[in-house]
Amino acid sequence: MTPVQTPTAAALPTGDAAGPGPGRGGAAEERSGPGARRRARRENLAGYLFMSPWIAGFALLTAGPMIASLYFAFTDYNLFDAPRWIGLKNFTDMFADPRWRHSVDVTLWYVVVGTPLKLAAALAVALLLNQKRRGQGFYRAAFYAPSLIGASVSIAVVWRAIFSDDAIVDRAQRSLLGMDVGGWIGDPDWIVYSLIALTMWQFGAPMVIFLAGLKQVPRELYEAAEVDGAGPWRRFWNITLPMISPVLFFNVLLETIHSFQIFGSAYILGGQAGGTCGPADATLVYTCYLYVQGFENSRMGFASAMAWMLLLAVGLVTAVLFWSQKRWVHYEEAAR
Amino acid sequence: MRTNGTGTQGSVDRRGLLKLVGGSTAALGLTAAGCGGGSGSDGGTVTIRYAWWGSDDRAKRINQTIELFEKKHPKIKVKTDFQPYLDFWKKFNTQASGGNPPDVFQNAVGFLRKYDAKNVLLDLGGQVEAGNLRMDGFRAGLDTFGEVDGRLLGVPVGSNSMALVIDEKVFGKAGITPRPGWTWEEFHAALAKIRDTQGRAGDSGMYGVMYLYDLHLRQHGKAFFTPKGLGFTEADLTDWWTKALQGVRAGTYSDPKKVSQVKPKAALSAGLSACEFTWDNFTIRYTSEGKSEYGLAPVPTTDGKRTGQYLGSLMLSASKRTKHPEEVARFIDFMVHDPEVATIMGYDRGVPATTAQYEAFKPTDPVNKKIAAYEQQLVDSGVLEQITPHPAGADIAEAAFLRIAEEMALGKSSVAEAVRQFFSESKTALGS
Amino acid sequence: MSALATIRRRGAGSIAWHAGALAVLAVVLYPVLWVIGASLKPNDEIVGSLQLFPTDPITDNYRHLAQGIADIPLSTFFGNSLFLAVGSVVGVLASSSLAAYAFTRIGFAGRGVLFTLMIGTLLLPYHVLLIPQYVLFQKLELVNTYTPLLLGKYLATDAFFVFLMVQFMRNLPKELDEAARLDGCGHLRTYWSIVLPLCRPALITSAIFTFINAWNDFMGPLIYLNEPEKYTVSLGLKMFVDQDGVANYGGMIAMSLVALLPVLVFFLAFQRYLIDGMATSGLKG
Repeated sequence: MTPVQTPTAAALPTGDAAGPGPGRGGAAEERSGPGARRRARRENLAGYLFMSPWIAGFALLTAGPMIASLYFAFTDYNLFDAPRWIGLKNFTDMFADPRWRHSVDVTLWYVVVGTPLKLAAALAVALLLNQKRRGQGFYRAAFYAPSLIGASVSIAVVWRAIFSDDAIVDRAQRSLLGMDVGGWIGDPDWIVYSLIALTMWQFGAPMVIFLAGLKQVPRELYEAAEVDGAGPWRRFWNITLPMISPVLFFNVLLETIHSFQIFGSAYILGGQAGGTCGPADATLVYTCYLYVQGFENSRMGFASAMAWMLLLAVGLVTAVLFWSQKRWVHYEEAAR
Repeated sequence: MRTNGTGTQGSVDRRGLLKLVGGSTAALGLTAAGCGGGSGSDGGTVTIRYAWWGSDDRAKRINQTIELFEKKHPKIKVKTDFQPYLDFWKKFNTQASGGNPPDVFQNAVGFLRKYDAKNVLLDLGGQVEAGNLRMDGFRAGLDTFGEVDGRLLGVPVGSNSMALVIDEKVFGKAGITPRPGWTWEEFHAALAKIRDTQGRAGDSGMYGVMYLYDLHLRQHGKAFFTPKGLGFTEADLTDWWTKALQGVRAGTYSDPKKVSQVKPKAALSAGLSACEFTWDNFTIRYTSEGKSEYGLAPVPTTDGKRTGQYLGSLMLSASKRTKHPEEVARFIDFMVHDPEVATIMGYDRGVPATTAQYEAFKPTDPVNKKIAAYEQQLVDSGVLEQITPHPAGADIAEAAFLRIAEEMALGKSSVAEAVRQFFSESKTALGS
Repeated sequence: MSALATIRRRGAGSIAWHAGALAVLAVVLYPVLWVIGASLKPNDEIVGSLQLFPTDPITDNYRHLAQGIADIPLSTFFGNSLFLAVGSVVGVLASSSLAAYAFTRIGFAGRGVLFTLMIGTLLLPYHVLLIPQYVLFQKLELVNTYTPLLLGKYLATDAFFVFLMVQFMRNLPKELDEAARLDGCGHLRTYWSIVLPLCRPALITSAIFTFINAWNDFMGPLIYLNEPEKYTVSLGLKMFVDQDGVANYGGMIAMSLVALLPVLVFFLAFQRYLIDGMATSGLKG
């Protein structure tokens, strides 16, 4: 997948990622008799033929490259000369590189601040829209639209304009808060927030998922709570949140993984030039630095090592989230 | 019967699938065939690939010169391909490493040794001997500009030199007239005066311009690059950047935040400063970007005489892998000698390198006239020095210099940290 | 409580609700309205002015676009993007539905393992594959062709779409293909004549997302395409930003809007499919 932010990835199933469906009985249950065996063989053949594009793609474009990447990570490779084995040097160089540490900081800040804000916005608006009122469908569609265009170069260009000196955000900040930072785009401390704002603007994709989750919460639960005298806040805390926790879990997981991989918006918004991203590298997110090292400085080995660190980080975050799931995600049999 | 039936079905299965897979493969094959670039010959006609960096405007001019070339050499077709500067080198690097560089391409002094070391550049000396490329008639010793260790790796197309581009209106109002040989003290006093009387910073922030620091070092008998690595010490750079930071704080240099924000517009044309150091042939850009009038001023000196300047030049180089060295040589020859090319290109790539082209284009607009006068004055005053091609990795060191200087100016790192960072990154890039 | 009071209370709630929704709508729509307004303004009024639409709109910015960028007409970029987007849609639909059919309808050995692998690739960051894939295509001399951008689509590497279709096909009644088998239909016939037509909603959703993804894609073309004549709209716009964005700011803004139009049109035409498709398939565990 490209790093383009689309809502597509946000539509994973809630609950367990179940194995393949019932299918056609499977070969196992008809294992007796020569006719059955022939049929099993035919099923295998048909299965692998149908699967052949996927298998070729997996071998050629996923598994093979991953093995190659792991090898490159331990080499000095500039595309001109053959890769030269240098052991762990890429990794020690990486940890000693202040720019690498800086790009990690930028990325973590972006993920840690941006993802919760985006999800909070998505949930808040979903709660608002989860009422039977006229225009609901219209609002839902309109709020969703930014998720489709948010990752485009066009919107990054627009964002640069809206957040620059004397444009709307700068003026609002000056007149409402009395703060003059002279536009977020030029300020190394502020530009990352314009990137976060761009992420938040695309709250529509998780919102749609939240809405679908909210629709499945049984009305009777609220009615019973109301009879018990629970206020809106307690109803939200005791009923809504637990009931939609599976949806929340998947939104958190996917948005977090997605955020780690942001590229295009940061690249254009920061006005990528001369191997920098933003003023004083302020939007040098991890993938931008990977791109700079790999494609501008021709350090393919170093960039591969960086990619594996990203994979480890994302893997770790995923594992922690799955582990924490037990504590706060409630799978109600009825909800499915 | 039933077994038979399904059996047939099974084979239909496979055949259909094969057809499907074949269909998609064919679609992909078509794509690849339709897009296969590269050079080739076809019925006596030779196609060469020509790549350069530059702007939309340069592209239009170059397309015209190519039309002209193809008209005069009907057996040679030229396919072009261009990018902005940084993208160009990124793409060039990957194409060259894949063994598929363009046959002929624009080149600069910072990349000669780099790609020579990677065995990418063709020694054009042989083509000169064969009479396909004339190396006579070059101005001001430019004919040897593209030589590395006696091999001709690039042919200059136009000369340029570092200069101080000034906002003439602001300088006039402040009552400052830069004269040849003025000193850094006088320059800084002028910046302060502009800040105090004109309400804007004097200079856009020269601390990150590698080519200017190079001149400053040359005024002290050093240079930014030696053929092997860096030609200055950490103490030199600490001094340069400490003064720079003082200038930023004192407001004689533009607020770096503002400079960063108006990018890719130059701070000078955005009215954030009154002057900036750049290549003289870029002056045109300010006129089209900004609202004021822009002119050229001499580079300040340390001793009242030596500016450290040299004539730089863009070059045309050929790839060692080209299958058509003769056609490529003829192409380069045409581009640097044909008078009509000069009238089309103007000073877009600097003042034409050969006398024939220099004579053919006499600028009529004020900006180009200023450029011509500026370079003529440099040649006449005899301040010009020689430059040796930069070491491999110089481009990466140059980009790091600019970036780290900006970080320091924005207050994101101290001078000491910035200097340390620059030397560490250059060491990696220059491999020394 | 009288009926009138209830109605009044509902009315008040309704006003508050619409006020809230409209406030969010304003934030969401502002950038889009801004770009429309800005594209009708002269260069130096674009950033500083708070007025959303100019009192005196101009069309110069659009007329400028007719000249293209560096002798390349805009239609070239649009044609390239369209080719890639349509090519991607065909590839994704064909390859993903074949894989999904196998996963749900054919009981072949190793199905579980392959399914797990497929789910695994769903969470794999693309960047791990970026460099080695580039090296691969470079060695095959396929850089600067559209093959690297399309091949994966024909080989079902977008696991998400495989998954989406698996989710959908799994819910089709099993009796259908059992009946087909009794009629002597093989897998290909069942796939083509029975399962695919029933999967229309999933196919349409996949097609739209693939199209929009391909249209917006920036990193792939940035890395693989060299010649401006092969550039997609995203890269053409980036070239505009680098080259003419200073002197012709208004043109750049107009081009930004034009580049968005196909996606916006697609969205307006298919938003039902997009949102309902995603919301429902997202909840079928």
